[in-house]
Amino acid sequence: MKTTVVSAVLATIVTSGISAQELTLGRFFGACEDAGTDTKTSVGEACIIQSIINAASEEIEGVTIDTLPTDWGNYYDQLKASYAGGTPPDVHVMHRHRIPEFAGFGALAEISGDLESVGIDPTNWTDSARAAVSYKDGIYGVPMDLHANLWHINMDLMEKAGLVVDGKPVLPGSPQEMLVHARKLKEATGQDYLAADFAQFPIGVRMVLALMWQQDANIFSDDGTATINSDAGKKAIETVTQLFDAELANPQLNYADSQQAFLNGEVAILVNGTWVVDLYTSEAANEESELSNYYVADFPQLFTEGATWADSHLWAIPSPVKSDEKKYQAALKVLAFINEHNIDWARTGHLAVRQSVLDSDEYAALPHRSEYTATASIARDTPPSTQYGAIQDVLNRELQAIWLTDKPIEAALSDAELEVQSLLDR
Amino acid sequence: MVQPNSTKRGSLSENQAAFLLLLPFLTVYALFLVYPFFRGIWISLHDWNLLEVAFNPAAKQFVGLSNYERVMWGRNIEWSLFSSPLAQLLGVIALLAAAWFAMRLQLSRVTAIALAIFGILLIVAPGFHPGPEGRWFSPRFWPTVGNTLLFVAWAVPGVTLSALVLAAALDRETRAMGILRTLFFISQVLSVTVVTLIWQIMFSPRQGLIANITEFFGGSPVVWLTDERFAMAAIVIATVWWSLGIAMILFLAGLQDISKDLKEAAELDSAIGVRAFWYITLPNLKRTITLVIVLQIILHFQVFGQSHLMTNGGPNDTTQVLVRYIYQTAFRDSELGRASAMAVFLFVIMGAFSILQFVIGREED
Repeated sequence: MKTTVVSAVLATIVTSGISAQELTLGRFFGACEDAGTDTKTSVGEACIIQSIINAASEEIEGVTIDTLPTDWGNYYDQLKASYAGGTPPDVHVMHRHRIPEFAGFGALAEISGDLESVGIDPTNWTDSARAAVSYKDGIYGVPMDLHANLWHINMDLMEKAGLVVDGKPVLPGSPQEMLVHARKLKEATGQDYLAADFAQFPIGVRMVLALMWQQDANIFSDDGTATINSDAGKKAIETVTQLFDAELANPQLNYADSQQAFLNGEVAILVNGTWVVDLYTSEAANEESELSNYYVADFPQLFTEGATWADSHLWAIPSPVKSDEKKYQAALKVLAFINEHNIDWARTGHLAVRQSVLDSDEYAALPHRSEYTATASIARDTPPSTQYGAIQDVLNRELQAIWLTDKPIEAALSDAELEVQSLLDR
Repeated sequence: MVQPNSTKRGSLSENQAAFLLLLPFLTVYALFLVYPFFRGIWISLHDWNLLEVAFNPAAKQFVGLSNYERVMWGRNIEWSLFSSPLAQLLGVIALLAAAWFAMRLQLSRVTAIALAIFGILLIVAPGFHPGPEGRWFSPRFWPTVGNTLLFVAWAVPGVTLSALVLAAALDRETRAMGILRTLFFISQVLSVTVVTLIWQIMFSPRQGLIANITEFFGGSPVVWLTDERFAMAAIVIATVWWSLGIAMILFLAGLQDISKDLKEAAELDSAIGVRAFWYITLPNLKRTITLVIVLQIILHFQVFGQSHLMTNGGPNDTTQVLVRYIYQTAFRDSELGRASAMAVFLFVIMGAFSILQFVIGREED
C-alpha cells in the first residue's frame, strides 16, 4: 500500500515535471473562490478573469497556471518589489498608464514579433487598444479592454423627478443645468442626485479630469509643464462642489459606501466605471434590491466637447522570461487564450478591444451595451508619464482637501500644480 | 572517571565557547539586521530608482547627502522664535520645568537633562519655516512627521492607561478574571489586516456598530474615516484596542511582583481601593510603566497598517504617517534613495528613545 502511494506520488511529480510548464500569474481585480472553468457564466471582474485563467490552465496543453495572491490596492508596489527582487510573475496584468514606467526601464518583454505565431492578430485590435500596449516602436502586452467612467442611473428616481423622456434619462448639458436637475430630484424624491467615491479611491479625480478635458484643458502638457492651476481646473472643480454646497451630493462616501447608497436607492446617479455594469445588472434583477430600473449612460458633455476618463487593462510578460524559451512560449499561449476570450471579459461591462468582437451579435446583445456606445470615442487619459501614480495621488489629496476639509480651491490648485511640476521635473 | 587530558585538549576557553554558541545568532543578526541597516544608509546616499536599478545596476548615482536635503530642507528656509508659538511655548515650559525640578532635586539629573533636551528641540525644530519665495523641497515630510508624533502622543497614553486600568481590575485569581484576561489579550494576536477590517466595519457610517448606536440615540452617524476631525481618532482607537494585550500582560507581571506584605501593611493603615492603587501599586509599578511607555513609543512610531488600510493616509493627509510615506516613496514613486534617507531619520528618532530607556533603566538600578 505504502509503496503504491509513494510511487504514485513520484510518478505524478516526474510526469508533471516533464510535460507541464508551470507559470506564475499576477493580477488584481480581487479574489474569487471557486471560479471554475466555465467562462460563459461567471459574474463580476474577479470571477470572470479567474474562470478564464482556470480554463487556460486546463485547456492549454502542457501549461499549468498558478495565480499568485496579490492585493489590489498595493498591486504595483508588490509588482515592482518582485521585479526588483528578480522574481516577477511570468505573466501579469497591468494598466496602460504604467507602460511608460515598466517598458521604459526595460522590465517588459517586447512581443511584437511573436504574436502571430500563437494566433494573436494585432491588426484585429482597435487603434486605441494597439496604442495602449505600444511604447516607442514596440508592443509590450496584449490589451484586454478599454474601461471608462460611466453614469450609472436609477431610472425610478429620475422618473419621479421628471427626468426621463422616451425611456431615456435626461442628462445635463452644462454645470448650471446639472444643478437644476439635482435640485429637482431632491425636491421630488428627497434623495441625492449624484454619488461617487470622492473620499478615497480617485473616482472624483477622474471626474474632474474629464470635466477639464471637456474644456480642452489638461493637468499637464506633453512637454511636462503642469497646467492644473487654470480657469478650466477651477470650473471643473466647482461643477462638483456646487452639488456638495447645496447638499445634493455627499463627498464623504468611499467606494463601498457610495455603491451601497446607489444600490439602496438613495442616490439617482453613481459615477463609476464600466467594470460594474454586469454587477449592477444582476443586482437590479434581484427582487430584494432597491435598485430595479437600471440604466447606463455615457459620461455627459457639460462643456464644449465630450470626454471621460479611460484606461486599458493589458497582459504583459517580464523581459527576463524571454531568456527561457519554453516558459516564454507558454506565457505567450496564455496571452493568446485571454485574447481569444475577449468577449467573456467584455461581459463585465468593459469595452472589447478586438474589432471582430465589437462587431459581433454576441457583443451587441450584452446587457445595456447600446446605452453607452459613445464612450469609446470620448475616452481619454492624461499624457503618458512615469510618475502617473504619484501625480494621481497629488490630485486625489488636493481634491479631497477641497471637499472634505474645505481647503480653498485656489490654494489646492496652486499646491497641486507645484507638486505635480516637481514630480514631472524628476 | 575524570580524564583531565582529554578535557584539556578538546575543551574551549569560556570565550571561545561563548562565541561558538553565539555564532548562529550573530550570523542571522549580521545578515538580516546589521547588513541591511548599513546597506540602507548606503542606498540613502544614492539616486536609486527601484525598477531602473533592478534592470541596470549602473543606473544608480552617488549623490552624497542630497537625499537628506531634498527630504528635510527647502529653499529659503528661515528660523524665527514665533513661527510656531504653541509648540515653542511648550518647549519653553519643558525647559523651565527641567530647571525647576533639577534645582529642587525632585528629578534625577538624567531625567532633567532629557526633559531639557526635549524642551530645546521643541523650541528649535518648529522654528524653521520657508521665508518669502521659499518652499520645502518635500512639503509633505514635516507634516507627516507631525502626524506620526500626534499618533504616538495619543496612542501611547491611550494604551498605557487603559492597559493599566484593565490590569489592576483583572489582577485576581478567579476563573472569570482568567477568561477576561485571555479575551483582552486575544486582539493582540490578530494581524493588522484583520484588525483594520474589523474597525472599518465598526466605523462604517452605513452598517457599523458605532453608527447604529448613534442612530439609536437619535444622532446622525459620524463618517469616521473620511472626516478630518475623526480620522486620526479612529486609527488611534483601533490601535489601542489592538495593542492593549502586551501592555496589560506586562502590567499584570509587574503587579504580581509587588510584595503581599506591602499590600497588607497598607491595608492595616486603611489604604485600600483607589488609595492603595495610588500610594502602593503605582510607585511600585514605576519601572514597568517606563518600560511599557518606551516600548509603545518605539512600536507606534512605526505605525503603518492602520493608516494605510483604514484611511489611505487621508483625508487631506491628516493620517499620513512616516512609514507609509517611506513605503510610498520607495515602492510607488520608486525613489529608494530618498525613502532610505527618511528611514534613517526614523531610526534616529527611535534610537533616541531606546537610549533614553537604557539610561533610565540603568539609573534605577
